[in-house]
Amino acid sequence: MDECINAYFRNIWIYYQKNMKKTILVPLLGFVILVICIFYYLNPPTEKKSYQKKIADEIFNTQTFFKTKTIDEKELGEFYIVNFFASWCKPCLAEHPLLMAMKDQGIKIIGINFRDDEENFLSWITENGNPFEYVIRDDGTIAYKMGLIGVPETYFISNNEIINKIQGPLFYEDVEKYL
Amino acid sequence: MKMLKSIYKKIFIIISLLFISSALAENSELTDFYKSIRCLVCDGQNILDSDTEFSVNLKEQIKKKFDSGLSLQEINNELISIYGEEISFKPSDSHFLLWASPFLLLLLIFFLIRKKYF
Amino acid sequence: MINSLGNLFLYLPILFTFFFYLRSSKLNESQTILAARVIYICSLIPFLLLLIAFATSNFQTLNVLQNSYINDPFIFKVTSAWGSHEGSILLWVFLINLYGLTFSFFHKKNLLNKQLIFISQIFIIYILISSNPFIEVNMDGNTEGLGLNPILQNLLFVIHPPILFLGYLGLIIPFVISSFILTTKQHDEPLFQQMLIWSKISWFFLTVGIVLGSYWAYSELGWGGWWFWDPVENVSLIPWLLNTALVHSLQVSIKNNQLKLWSLNLALYGFIAAVFGTFLVRSNLIVSVHSFATDPLRGLFLIIIIGYLLITTIRMNLKSISLFNKDTFQFISKESFLLINNIFFICAALTVFIGTVYPLFSEMIFQTAVSVGAPYYNFTFNILLAPIIILMAFAPQIKWHNHHSQNQIKLLIIFLTGFVASLISYFIFYNLFFSISVFITAPLFMQSVVVLFAKFKKDFRFYAQWLAHLSIGIFIIAAVSTEQFDTEENLLFKKDSNNELPLNSGGYAYIENIQNIEKLNHVQILLDMKIVEENKTYSLSPSKNIYQPSGQITNEVSVVNNFFSQYYATISQIESDLVSINLVYKPFINLLWMSALMLILGIFGSIIRKI
Repeated sequence: MDECINAYFRNIWIYYQKNMKKTILVPLLGFVILVICIFYYLNPPTEKKSYQKKIADEIFNTQTFFKTKTIDEKELGEFYIVNFFASWCKPCLAEHPLLMAMKDQGIKIIGINFRDDEENFLSWITENGNPFEYVIRDDGTIAYKMGLIGVPETYFISNNEIINKIQGPLFYEDVEKYL
Repeated sequence: MKMLKSIYKKIFIIISLLFISSALAENSELTDFYKSIRCLVCDGQNILDSDTEFSVNLKEQIKKKFDSGLSLQEINNELISIYGEEISFKPSDSHFLLWASPFLLLLLIFFLIRKKYF
Repeated sequence: MINSLGNLFLYLPILFTFFFYLRSSKLNESQTILAARVIYICSLIPFLLLLIAFATSNFQTLNVLQNSYINDPFIFKVTSAWGSHEGSILLWVFLINLYGLTFSFFHKKNLLNKQLIFISQIFIIYILISSNPFIEVNMDGNTEGLGLNPILQNLLFVIHPPILFLGYLGLIIPFVISSFILTTKQHDEPLFQQMLIWSKISWFFLTVGIVLGSYWAYSELGWGGWWFWDPVENVSLIPWLLNTALVHSLQVSIKNNQLKLWSLNLALYGFIAAVFGTFLVRSNLIVSVHSFATDPLRGLFLIIIIGYLLITTIRMNLKSISLFNKDTFQFISKESFLLINNIFFICAALTVFIGTVYPLFSEMIFQTAVSVGAPYYNFTFNILLAPIIILMAFAPQIKWHNHHSQNQIKLLIIFLTGFVASLISYFIFYNLFFSISVFITAPLFMQSVVVLFAKFKKDFRFYAQWLAHLSIGIFIIAAVSTEQFDTEENLLFKKDSNNELPLNSGGYAYIENIQNIEKLNHVQILLDMKIVEENKTYSLSPSKNIYQPSGQITNEVSVVNNFFSQYYATISQIESDLVSINLVYKPFINLLWMSALMLILGIFGSIIRKI
């Protein structure tokens, strides 16, 4: 059986060698592979899908800091924002004015203070202003549930579903469609 | 010829034994589990070696869950459902080609040259 | 001025090469060699010019501006030349032409030099298109430079790229010799002998380069690890594996004219792996600790040059396969053992390749990102190599052609002893992985001792090989020990409280002193720590360095030795009222480095062969 297979391949090879036209086969194959590689190169795979669609329940079960009550989902309305921040995080300070501007426009922001010291957090708020409708102090559990990569991170929620997530400081282009 | 075949048989047995014992000897220690979880804000480090807030937080959360009774496999699944597959340095079994390819390649090479050498 | 000169000497060799190819058929041998050497020498000059630019802190050259700082120590100023992507590619071109030049003194054959020149010129074209360091920049003298990344300011790291490149590029000579043999179908023994010597040279440099890189990571990166299966590391491992297989396979090809096709292909793919690896990590495709700044054009170039090398290799193979496929050994013999060796090493190299490239593949095909790390390689790579370690114990004593004497009883005793030793080790350490490694390496250790007392001619080559093989056994034991038995603890020293903290081992540690020291381009916060254990005191001085002009902070590791083990300390946190130290006890880690040295010595010994 093996001899048959070997003979078969040998015959193909001899045929290949005898037909000069077929000598373009190898370079052609190479070219095709090259084209495929270039295609993949210029069209890299799209952003991987976000894995969380639902917001973490803890946000509605935890006591907020300044208002000493838990957040009532109905009070938030159709559209709101969840923003993770910390006093030790420099880019959070950079995006802070934008958050204040959004608050002035009436957008409700839930601020989640990620792994922070209480004193530092309070002085950060006092010095810079409070753009948040509600603030929750988190030891990392909520961040973990939401799949936080690092602060600052912002989630845009509409109809109780996460419609967008921005990792890193917010820029005007990220939020202008919501203003 | 026969002697050569017996050597190959012995090699095959050794590899199978190693494969089985390696699969069985799954280390159940927490620190070893940390080594298999990737720090997503670093360049390829695992969370045990990394000092970032992300890694420290993850270590704490994992420890909490481990102490509350969850098995390492359950914690691993939860991590993957939150952060995606890239959080684990051990690709899931659905990547069968990846895990099997070294041994398949070995078998393939032996198969291709068997006519000539054996 | 330097920029123009640099650019001139980048265009010049390409011009010369063009004319060289036009007229090569009309030149006689000595003219060809002369032309080739002119091209090689011209190609050496740009890198030397870059070195001068760095040494004189010529900030009009963009690359110098981006990677050097006026107050950097001189040695780091000069070595910053290869601290960036552009500079290191220029170093690559320099070394490939240096090899070419050296090679031209040993081989005057036209074809060999032609191919070498062609490959080296492709890299110069690459530099001109996308990585030219000689870009003029005018800052009106208002600059002190942006500084070399502090992590790179370490003597070990500074020599690591040149040595590793010497290893990668050394493989070009086996590549061209192999192509020559396949295309001209001349396969006399001297050619294979030459291939062997050059392969050993590249093998030596690759081994030293990898060990240096590993030791640098261990001493600089503060995590105490020495191998991370990081893409850049993997990419240096693959050529090393192929090179090892090549060196072994060539012995058979030279001695008995067997396994020729294997040797030739190992040489070809070894070089392809080296080029592929180096450029893969500079393209946009793979992310790692060693990431360089990326540019999509670089990945495209990678595809082009790999495509050329691969297509050439495949075509050559297809044309000449029948001529070289004449192996005739059959029985248990050194040839068959080395054949198995080839197969397993090739599989190991392919495994590392698959693991490195799979995340990219998965992202493209399945649209999911996966991470392939230590768990994967520990399962596949380690298991693949285990049988080879066992065979390695016996292979050097197996005879050529036909090993008649089958002492089954001796074999049984060896394996039984190994099994008993691994059982004992299990009851001492309660660690399955360690016991498995004892079982695998026991035959090697036993045979090493036996063979020392056996009566046969032992020349220098024998001892070199003995040392190299033994070092692998020691390496495995040390690697598994450090992986399994490392203990880590975090010591929190608070101000105004009892400053002697107890250690897990039973002793205690205290901080003697904290100093702020001003150095040339950084401020060092140096901590003096002492560990007291059973009447012995050990001194550790980890530090944090704050660099100018970037403000970057690095963690400097401090180690202290206790025979084969080490205490490894880093500062994890330093505030005004507390200091937190990470202390790791690593048993047998020094055996690891010792075995690496033994391996390097063994390889070196096999090159010089006689004293």
